[in-house]
Amino acid sequence: MNFSFNREVEEKRLKDIFGFSKFYDTQWDVISKVMSNKRILLIEKTGFGKSLCYQYPATCLPGLTIVISPLIALMRDQKKFLDKYIIPAATINSGQTPEENKEIIDKATRGEIKILYIAPERQGNTTWLENILNFNISFVVIDEAHCISTWGHDFRPYYRRIINLIDRFPANFPVLATTATATKRVQKDIEEQIGSSFSTIRGNLLRNNLYLNVLKVESEEEKFLWLAENISKLDGSGIIYTGTRANSELFSRWLNFHGVNTAFYNATLESEERIEIENGFMDNKFKCVVSTNALGMGIDKPDIRFIIHTQITQSPVHYYQEIGRAGRDGKPAKIILLYNPSKDSDLPLSFIESAKPDTNKYYKVIEALREERHTFTTLIKKVDLKQTVFRVIIADLIDMGIVVETIENKSKKYEIKFNAPGLNFDMHLKLKEAKLLEFGEMLFYANTQSCRMNFLCNYLGDNSADDCLICDNDLKIFEKVPANDSLAEKLSYFKENYFPEIIVESSGSNIVNGVAADFYGFSNTGQIIHKAKYENHAEFPETILFRLIAAFDSKFDVNEIDIVTVIPPTISGDIVANLAKQFSEKLGLKFSRDLVKTRVTQPQKVFQTNYNKNENIKNAFEFLNPGQILGKTVLLIDDVFDSGVTIKEAGRVLTRCGAAKIIPLTIAKTVTGVD
Amino acid sequence: MKELNRDTYLIALSHIQDVSTKTVNGILKEFGSEAGAYANFFELTADEMLSKHNIPIEEAVKIAEFKSQLPNFAFLNDNLVNQGFTMVAASDSNYPANLINNLGYDRTPSILYLKGDIEIFKEQCIAIVGSRDANEDDLNYTALLSKKATQEFKVVVSGFAKGVDKKALDSALELNGKSILVLPQGILTFKSGINEYYKKILSGDVLILSTFYPTAPWLVKLAMARNAYIYGLAGEIYIPKTNDSGGTWAGATSGIKKGRKVYVRYLDGKLPANLKLIELGAIPLDEEGDEIKGFVRGGKVNPKKKKNIKPPYEEGNLFEN
Repeated sequence: MNFSFNREVEEKRLKDIFGFSKFYDTQWDVISKVMSNKRILLIEKTGFGKSLCYQYPATCLPGLTIVISPLIALMRDQKKFLDKYIIPAATINSGQTPEENKEIIDKATRGEIKILYIAPERQGNTTWLENILNFNISFVVIDEAHCISTWGHDFRPYYRRIINLIDRFPANFPVLATTATATKRVQKDIEEQIGSSFSTIRGNLLRNNLYLNVLKVESEEEKFLWLAENISKLDGSGIIYTGTRANSELFSRWLNFHGVNTAFYNATLESEERIEIENGFMDNKFKCVVSTNALGMGIDKPDIRFIIHTQITQSPVHYYQEIGRAGRDGKPAKIILLYNPSKDSDLPLSFIESAKPDTNKYYKVIEALREERHTFTTLIKKVDLKQTVFRVIIADLIDMGIVVETIENKSKKYEIKFNAPGLNFDMHLKLKEAKLLEFGEMLFYANTQSCRMNFLCNYLGDNSADDCLICDNDLKIFEKVPANDSLAEKLSYFKENYFPEIIVESSGSNIVNGVAADFYGFSNTGQIIHKAKYENHAEFPETILFRLIAAFDSKFDVNEIDIVTVIPPTISGDIVANLAKQFSEKLGLKFSRDLVKTRVTQPQKVFQTNYNKNENIKNAFEFLNPGQILGKTVLLIDDVFDSGVTIKEAGRVLTRCGAAKIIPLTIAKTVTGVD
Repeated sequence: MKELNRDTYLIALSHIQDVSTKTVNGILKEFGSEAGAYANFFELTADEMLSKHNIPIEEAVKIAEFKSQLPNFAFLNDNLVNQGFTMVAASDSNYPANLINNLGYDRTPSILYLKGDIEIFKEQCIAIVGSRDANEDDLNYTALLSKKATQEFKVVVSGFAKGVDKKALDSALELNGKSILVLPQGILTFKSGINEYYKKILSGDVLILSTFYPTAPWLVKLAMARNAYIYGLAGEIYIPKTNDSGGTWAGATSGIKKGRKVYVRYLDGKLPANLKLIELGAIPLDEEGDEIKGFVRGGKVNPKKKKNIKPPYEEGNLFEN
């Protein structure tokens, strides 16, 4: 081991390796404890230099340092940083091929890597397990350790299992857990979970370059108006956080309408598109990115100058974490919460309410597993639950000690554990109560008349903070909604002419992104569709036809279309086909009903999981007389765009029949939730 | 603090090359489930291990060298538990008493890797083992023995080999009996069987047991070594059919030498290897699976002495009465 416990000596070495001349006192404290084989929980604000607390010891220790990290993007950033200082680091992750990962494992076995980043899920990988026994491990680090705690706002089931892993390490083996956001409650939980062998080092959390503001509005429209009026006046680039995916698109388009260069970002985007937006944001190509909370931890941009929330978060911890991304360079950054007291509690409360699936869904999974062992895919098909719901249930059942995840021939199988305890939802009730309390605290933040930063620091367990003197309450300067009639008119014009995008492009298919006439549920379009399809089986009213044409016109040119076709109905008769026919006639386009089903399918909405939706529709279409679309551009009409499975499958079939381009057009697009 | 790391030390100790079971079991006896004691032990130099704990110096050197690999075993330990396996140490109170009684504490496996209900160990266990190339008649007889044991609420221990072993297992389960499968491989490499007997494991009727390194593949030498543990787990040993070499034979002859009760199908002396075992001191069984009382060497039954008469065992017979 190459460590002297002499600060001067080590600072000289620090300078040689990293170019920094001094350790902060806290860093030195942590590093010397790690080097004395201690276990430390380090709570320090973003930008403090937590990473150095393990990177430096890693260069002193003889063996490998393993860093467990929640996000591939974080791992890559850290590796890039270490590459600069020629410290051999690598990441093993699901984004790399098994061969690439194996090569890194081999290097680690040969001692050619000093710092290895892995996700907690790696513990379930057979290649990893077979090879780790040949490693020489000196030190383990848990990054973003608040994920360990059930009370942490980013609770990840595999993270929770790290606790057990750590408990299984030999005594006198150093472990460092780091986080920027841990309330006293989370700290206590982590301490309890990881045992008394840990000691906590907590820094102060005050960020004295964040200018905190809350603007109370009386309607959703006022948020649009404020943004249109003010966004260009803000320095630099930033992030606007929205509560729903639909809103990320809507706010982004509204700002585009005003000539502001923005992109929207949410979990529905393909990963290439996401990376493109992330890179564009890093390179200041956008004034702002409008995003759900999908844009987050992975973004390490030091000069984010503003962060605006159009939706109040579920807790002060979420809020502190999200605004913490601003001003990492230490320069001023403006933080604004747009808050409508009469409406904005709905979304967080519905999340808290529906955070856990219904009890009967848990029983459904248990019943299926009592009959036989299942892989992820066979089980999700069997129980037919939405993937998000299913993942929560499986994680909970594993956490409760009812289900175990076994590895069989490189694939995972779930089974019930012998002597498993019964289902117990006490923890869920406690969690829900805790979340309601946390949300109450967030409302308090929005309403407080004293220093906002002081409130946040106190809430996060740092009671040493003074008033920031730069928040709206301390300065007594408050943001206002602009009184601007022409802007309000523009907004209603915008909304009337706003058509949501349908994002379906993927390689291997000639389908392109299309457009929908409306969001399902935003206006009365949803009701009209429902009524026509399921109640009176009448034709769609003419307003729908006009809106469909307007949607089409907003994005496409009638001259580029060769032929119009329609997704054949499951049960609702010919009304969509008739609409498509009217549409074609109005625009003078050729219409064909040659896209037909080769077998009976179920309505997609009866299935919860995309696995079953896919199976329901796979190879169910064919196009008669394909000669008429060979090399042509096809406009493909359907009523509601939801999961996209049907439209994508039809796109695949039309591509196979020779269509050069397929443009989807639907009456409505569902408003899918939050990321 | 939860002492989950005890098993990390335990797994590591049990699989250090050239460290004897006797030494490991001695350490287990001394420290029990006190994780802290193992931690302190691993801090010692080889010389201190010798002077303080009487560990032979060659072994102490190996153990001291192994210390740096301990963290790796935390990952293995964690993975085993995540996959629903449990570990029991020779010094633990729920370790099967039969194994220690039959093999001796110094030779009993230091660690057992298990999946299923370990309470089964508390019940009366018999082993049914035998030839892999059994014919239909042999298998029918196996089924008879297994069902008989099941009706007497005995647990059938077998080796999950083709032929007799598998039949013994399946027949016991047919009558909702209980069974212990002793694997000739590491527990992490046993896949098909867990799938096949999943519901029986869940209902507490099948316990999977391995004594070997968890990722060890199936090997002939492990299959041979495993037989000693099958015999060790059982109070009595039943052999429907054996060859005069191989695992069953080796296990049976050594069992007889140690004075274990080994029961063998007689079938009028038509099974040569079975007969040889009987000549060596195994107890013959009739076609009902009952002991043939009053059996005399040479393969003849003396009908007059069939009941309530102490059998005239040969001199040198090691059976206890």
